[in-house]
Amino acid sequence: MTDRRRINGPVGATIPLVFEDVEDYEQVATKAARSRAPNAVRKMYLKTGVTPSASGSAYLEIETSGKGGVSGLKLSCTVYGPRSLPRSSPFSPHIILSTHVKYAPFATKQRRGYLRDPAERDLGSHLEAALRGAIIADRWPKSGVDIIVSIIEGDQDRETSKTQGDEAWDIMNALSGCITVASAALADAGIDCVDTVAGGVAALVRDTADSSPSIVVDPIPSEHEKILASCCVAYLPTRNEVTNLWYKGDLPASDMELYTKLVEKGIQASTNANRVLLECLGETVN
Amino acid sequence: MPLDTSAYSLALLRVDGRRWNELRRMHAQIRTQAAADGSSYLEMGHTKVMCVVTGPSEPGPRRSAVGASGGTGVGGGSGEAAQAEVAVSIVIAGFSSVDRKRTARGDKRILEMQSTISNALAGSLHTHLYPHSAINISLHVLSQDGSLLAALINAATLACVDAGIPMTDYVAACTAGSTSTYAAGDEAADPLLDLNQQEEQELPGLTVATLGESDRVAVLVCESRVQVSRLEGMLAVAVDGCKQVREILDRVVRDKGRRMVQEGTIEKGVGVNDMEID
Amino acid sequence: MASTQHALLSPAELAYLHAALSLTPPIRPDGRSPAQFRPLVAETGILPGTNGSARICFADGTEAIVGVKAEVERTRGGYEGEIVEGGGAEEVVTDVNDEEKKGESDWVEMTVEIPGLRDDDATTAFLGAMISEALLADGGFSRRLWINRRFHWKLYLDILLISPPLSYPLPLLSLTTHLALLATRLPRLKSEGDEDPFFDDDWAAARYLYPRNKKDGKTTARPPVTLLVMAVGNNIIFDPAKEELAVADVALAVSIGEDATTAATATGDDASLMMDVDSTTAAAAITSARNLRLLSIRTIDPPSRLTPSGVPNATNTAYGAATTQKQPEARTAEAEAVEGVWRAPRGGAKPLVMAALVHKVLEKGGIADEVLDALHAVDLG
Repeated sequence: MTDRRRINGPVGATIPLVFEDVEDYEQVATKAARSRAPNAVRKMYLKTGVTPSASGSAYLEIETSGKGGVSGLKLSCTVYGPRSLPRSSPFSPHIILSTHVKYAPFATKQRRGYLRDPAERDLGSHLEAALRGAIIADRWPKSGVDIIVSIIEGDQDRETSKTQGDEAWDIMNALSGCITVASAALADAGIDCVDTVAGGVAALVRDTADSSPSIVVDPIPSEHEKILASCCVAYLPTRNEVTNLWYKGDLPASDMELYTKLVEKGIQASTNANRVLLECLGETVN
Repeated sequence: MPLDTSAYSLALLRVDGRRWNELRRMHAQIRTQAAADGSSYLEMGHTKVMCVVTGPSEPGPRRSAVGASGGTGVGGGSGEAAQAEVAVSIVIAGFSSVDRKRTARGDKRILEMQSTISNALAGSLHTHLYPHSAINISLHVLSQDGSLLAALINAATLACVDAGIPMTDYVAACTAGSTSTYAAGDEAADPLLDLNQQEEQELPGLTVATLGESDRVAVLVCESRVQVSRLEGMLAVAVDGCKQVREILDRVVRDKGRRMVQEGTIEKGVGVNDMEID
Repeated sequence: MASTQHALLSPAELAYLHAALSLTPPIRPDGRSPAQFRPLVAETGILPGTNGSARICFADGTEAIVGVKAEVERTRGGYEGEIVEGGGAEEVVTDVNDEEKKGESDWVEMTVEIPGLRDDDATTAFLGAMISEALLADGGFSRRLWINRRFHWKLYLDILLISPPLSYPLPLLSLTTHLALLATRLPRLKSEGDEDPFFDDDWAAARYLYPRNKKDGKTTARPPVTLLVMAVGNNIIFDPAKEELAVADVALAVSIGEDATTAATATGDDASLMMDVDSTTAAAAITSARNLRLLSIRTIDPPSRLTPSGVPNATNTAYGAATTQKQPEARTAEAEAVEGVWRAPRGGAKPLVMAALVHKVLEKGGIADEVLDALHAVDLG
């Protein structure tokens, strides 16, 4: 579908040229290796109530591990509602969630259009599944809530080349961020939940072609030679329950151990994010 | 020019070896799907379509919204609830034509076909027996080789018969064309029956649907330029073709009915007894 | 996502279903055993105008058709829009080893059509993403589409659901896609190296996308299959119907692939290699040591969360409960479960339950093995 209502950029995009200093050359040429411990997550900044006009909102930033202080992922979430459903819609005994996830046109190296593409819709349905488990939906019959997440910056380092890293894996990080930020915004909007839900990512990576694969938490795809499998978990810590699980990759089925460990690490990452989430909500209360 | 008119004038055979008044091989099945109220599969040469009918049923609240957004052709008095609404939706599969082409659902050509079929069937179905309800006809085009609209109408008719919706008679459709283009200005051009894709692109043609054995025309679509003098001949050939098509459809329905009685799927009731099984 | 298609069941029916499915062994509405699939009718190669096609009809009447079309496309280079041009004559290498054949995920385009749903509906996007994700998971699939360094096949997969969506259509669509891909043939390449591709007109000489054993016509490698698994109480149920899904505690879609021991030769460029493989040993290798791969798992949002909850008699005013009920009391009443009264599940699933579901699919002689065995038995014609 073409977007005729807006002025669109040229179809064929070009990447801005990055000129490198001679001394930087080596640094750029060699792949940035992971600087964190395998089970350390990146630093995260979360704040609720950033959009006054919305019933609830939150903003999330995750730093890039390459350089300190430069953020990798920037997400903003607004929640509108609960509000009554339009007259024409049928009766619903529960609150109806509608989730929209949209990358800003400039969020990734490849420009995104204004209309949501299938990948963004898919993210939206993942987010919906993750949140629906957390919300106590029958407290608001006949009502709906809109959850809108905009990905302002998509965790892609400008200095890595286009072929480095794979967008298919970046999307997992984006989803885990979306879940955390949406959960914070829901809490800010005062919508009853069974627990705060947060997202976490773990991946099975291989750093060099002949090394044995290892599991890391919160991976950055460009830092690793190859990602074998990755999983994103939405986890409710106090109930010890998973509301959404998304695994992607290629693992031998005979090795269930590996898969179980991967999910465990994902849960661990999610628990870490949840701690930040709780602290942030605590600050708002005080 | 793919249609070699000189060859036609010599041997009176068309590109696919048919004579002017021959239909392509027509094959149809009804009750192809267990879940639907009515279903059919129809082949006219290489044009293959499937039809699934649901209803008459209570119209969902979304239905009207879909109709309003232009997704569905609605006919047969959609406004007044005294009659059932006939909603048609056509999906043309991306792999149906030689080159893969994705047709959006809101395509104008599809919308027009939807409303044509909807209106044609609403005229034959006893929609007044089902007030406040909807009959949903969903058509899938699996392969295209000319006479698409005619194939869709025939498939929809069969599926409606299978669904057991009372109707006055079959709506049987067929196409007709003329052996030379408008520009050739050939007054002696012969009419042709049942155009395939190649002929449809080259030559003027029209689609006609008639109501049962009568000569009453239910649909007449002519989208090409043709001399008025040739029109009458084309129309006559098409109406004649529709009668042949009706025979074929009728046979499909009767065969299926007979088989169902034999298999014991249905009781041989009064209605079936009355039906002369030839 | 699943909200658009919830079954119209009353709280009493839901409670009954849930209770029946929680028994050991569970009693399913259609009398199947927990791991039993619905019977189905499948055929391949139904549309001569496509490169590969398949149709599957489930016993409950849901039906899907998948058509595959392939087109030759230029491979784009590292930079946007720049075409990788073949270099001088000395650079033309006829023998490219497998490692160099690298596919990209946008060589496959998938569309899902479900009647009554818009193209941009979340369900359609979700289904499409799930099927293509499994297909592209290991990068092995797009490698099959490689022609030479400058050209590749672009594969269009059109998935049509013919019947109205009576049950969650994922297993049906996935199986149909699987069969269509198995039946897919691409014209035989006549040109060599990096020159403009030129193909054999003879369709009989066309090669299968998934090469087959000449002797028994069985393939060695297979496209992935996505299975739907759900848990109710302590039971794990496969291939749930719509009513069963309506009371699911958790539902997972698990995609598995098969990595046969002979797959390495199958991906090789030369089909004649296939003739050398002794069919009996190959078949034996497949049944004895099937290398299952776990490709993708997704949680399906179970529609049970959107079902209406029942009202216990104690709080039902029609049964003499006090009419003046205070809000806090209502809250506490909401919290406690009453035997036989349906309550929509809240929260997620325990990680252990999820692991058990996945384990049940993948274990030796488990469901995945069974399904793949059944698919092996399908005569591809």
